[in-house]
Amino acid sequence: MKKLSIIIIFLISITITGCGGYEELNNLSIVTAVAFDKTDEEYELSFLIANSPKAQTSAKEGEAKTTVYTGKGKTIALASKDIEQIVPKQIYLGHINVVIISEDIAKDGFLKIADWLLRNPQTRKKFYLLQAKDEKAKNILKIVSPLESFPSQSIATLIESNSETKSIATSVTYSNFISQILEKGYDPILPSITVKGSVKEGSNEKNLETTEPESYLVLGPLAIYKKDKLEGFATEKESWAINVLNGEAKEVSYNVKYKGENISIMASSLKSKIKLKDQNNIEITISGQGDIYNINNKINIQDYQEINKIEKAWSKSLKKDLSKVIKNIQKKYQADIFGFGNLIYKNKPKVWEKLEKSWNSKYFPNLNVQIKTNLKIEATGSLVKTVKEETK
Amino acid sequence: MEKIIKNAKKIIEKTKKLYGNSPDLNTRIINIRGTNVGILFLESSSQASTISDFIVKGTLYVKANKNLFQNIFESLKNNLFNSQLFTIKDYSQFPYFLSSGFTIIVTDNSNEAIIMETRANLDRGVTESTSEPILRGSKDSFTESHSKNLGLIRKRIKDPSLWFKELKLGRRTQTRISIAYINGIADNKKIKEIEKNLKKINIDGILDSGNLKDYLVENKSVFPQIQSTERPDTVSQALLQGKVVIFTENCPFALILPNVFIDYLHTPEDQNQKSSNITFTRILRTVALIITVFTPAIYIAVTTYDQNTIPDKLLISLAIQREGVPFPTFFEIILLTTIFEILRESDLRSPSSMSAAMSIVGALVLGQAAVDAGIVSPITVIVVAFTSICSLVFTDIDFMNGIRSWRFIFILAASVLGIIGILSFAIIWLVKLASLENLNTSYLSPFAPFSKESQNDAIYKAPENKILTRPNYISKLNPHRQRRIK
Repeated sequence: MKKLSIIIIFLISITITGCGGYEELNNLSIVTAVAFDKTDEEYELSFLIANSPKAQTSAKEGEAKTTVYTGKGKTIALASKDIEQIVPKQIYLGHINVVIISEDIAKDGFLKIADWLLRNPQTRKKFYLLQAKDEKAKNILKIVSPLESFPSQSIATLIESNSETKSIATSVTYSNFISQILEKGYDPILPSITVKGSVKEGSNEKNLETTEPESYLVLGPLAIYKKDKLEGFATEKESWAINVLNGEAKEVSYNVKYKGENISIMASSLKSKIKLKDQNNIEITISGQGDIYNINNKINIQDYQEINKIEKAWSKSLKKDLSKVIKNIQKKYQADIFGFGNLIYKNKPKVWEKLEKSWNSKYFPNLNVQIKTNLKIEATGSLVKTVKEETK
Repeated sequence: MEKIIKNAKKIIEKTKKLYGNSPDLNTRIINIRGTNVGILFLESSSQASTISDFIVKGTLYVKANKNLFQNIFESLKNNLFNSQLFTIKDYSQFPYFLSSGFTIIVTDNSNEAIIMETRANLDRGVTESTSEPILRGSKDSFTESHSKNLGLIRKRIKDPSLWFKELKLGRRTQTRISIAYINGIADNKKIKEIEKNLKKINIDGILDSGNLKDYLVENKSVFPQIQSTERPDTVSQALLQGKVVIFTENCPFALILPNVFIDYLHTPEDQNQKSSNITFTRILRTVALIITVFTPAIYIAVTTYDQNTIPDKLLISLAIQREGVPFPTFFEIILLTTIFEILRESDLRSPSSMSAAMSIVGALVLGQAAVDAGIVSPITVIVVAFTSICSLVFTDIDFMNGIRSWRFIFILAASVLGIIGILSFAIIWLVKLASLENLNTSYLSPFAPFSKESQNDAIYKAPENKILTRPNYISKLNPHRQRRIK
């Protein structure tokens, strides 16, 4: 009797709770990328679905085909319902890699659309967020890359490899971006992405077959936001400087003019430290090491005094470059992307209360930022002398 | 007890009747000074040449020198050449001795009978172990001969405190059962309990040591608590640890008890190889155990409930593979595992000449063709193959079958409740294993209850010169097995 009742309780608990989230894999449409666009009145939502049935035969050869579905609606939720009517299978948002927002959405205010993905219990919230530049966000999803199986994957790898080395982009996740918006005294940045070549060519499978693809995806300069609204795009040099100042760029190549010639220094493990002196003075310390990897001068690089001089020249020109960029951002965009205000808010909350209202327009542009450097040249590569010196 | 009547002719008649006049019952009557001497033996189980050479000759010698002897019975007893000679007074023991290959001599003037060993050699020799092959170690294995088996152990352990207790079980088979243990190491309570359990048995026949298993284990579980082995070195090792071993006549497999879970992750070879490498091998076996129990269940749970846990590229690849497969994942897995189990079972039972054909059918038809036909997805074949290979790491058939049952339970749990189902059933599994107990030894010793001293030969294997004590969960008597070398 006791055993029977245990069995009955067990059976009931299984049947009453139902099948939970039971779903066979072949009944799912796996969405790996989402694009937000806006027409005059309606939102346009696009899903990149990775496992479309036509992919089955080609999967064995190492490539898969993807499909982009687009829905329109007055709200994002309505737009997604619109897609569900077209897609025959259950839409599954658990594996979103990349979310791309168009310039129209960004100018209108990102927070208007942020809720839908954040509230969805399926999503992971750790996907990359990108700003589409000069192109509809939907078109970016369409471009197929010859090196990666899915467009979403190619975008993710592009960001991951570039944010550390090329240093004009940075990786921003969806949840990070939103928390930066919500934080006091902080304005967020986003990496941007654009299409080189025509979208029509790039979305065709034939694009994969040529040795030199007609069109491909390129990471653009950083998009600068003021709160949740797009303020503008930085230039490439500015993006680079912003990444150095934020401590995001780790491997940076830098050209130093020394004795009239260019010396290339590959800086590794650059670190930046922002220190608040008082409400009007900020001190940024950049420290790190670099290796000389290209030098055409007749310089005796075995002489440590020469190296010292190169170090000094590097420090000086880096300081100059960085402070120029900071000034420009203070005046042109008035967006506190370095989080100076946040520093004041954290250290001196009472002072911040007074400054908060007119921080971006009045106090931030007039902030005095000092840059200190602590740079060292560690190695000079595998040549002992320079080639020009040898020719003497 | 039935008295032996003082009439050789009548006894022979009676015995012939008892055996239904079977032609293999040979009898001979020799008359010495008017006294009949009857010789009885079964020609099928005894060696006729020994009987003619020593018994008939001896009797005839007594007959030839009949004037020298007063008492025929006593003189026969003293003049027969045999190392095993004794007398009995009970007629009811006659069939046992006759069937065992003994020769019985009865006389008219005594109500005792002379019993002499004249067994025929009906065994094969000591051969290499087939069910537990080994790379490095002794190669001999037990045979069907009871005394040979005991001899293989005596040969290894020369200590006189290696004791054998003998019982005869089975009303009709009268099988000899020997309980072997080392007096002073093995726990007396355990021996008594085993003896008590065995004595309760009242069955017509015991033909194999496997028949005894169910009488010796108190709790019902799919996991074995008794190890059966045909390796004398394994048995000797167990005896030295304080375990008790049961030998059964006509069975090449000895039973070792009490056995704990971790013993199934050990092999006899562990003692012979370098100890630092054995630790790694044991970790591998543990991993194989976890894989073989959980892989199909986790695959089902992860692909039908918790897709979030799979990396992006893998999920898409899995989804594309499943495209066009008509069955649910659960059914696919059940189908393939069942087919594998049937294949294994048929491979075990069929003669070796047929196994080549079977492996072709198994590999090509069930693997390749089923995938090409779109009945199962390739990943399912990989999952099932992986699971099956890992289960073959373990040699004990009972243990493998125990694992198999729990694998199916986990598959069912995963298909109704996903990862939560696996987790909750894993807890039930653990509780079930921890609650098992045989002869006062917990099944999960030395982990639960935890014993720090016995950890040096559980998963981690300490160097042989550092293992100073016997596992304390088996017997607490005489715990030191070696002295520390200074």
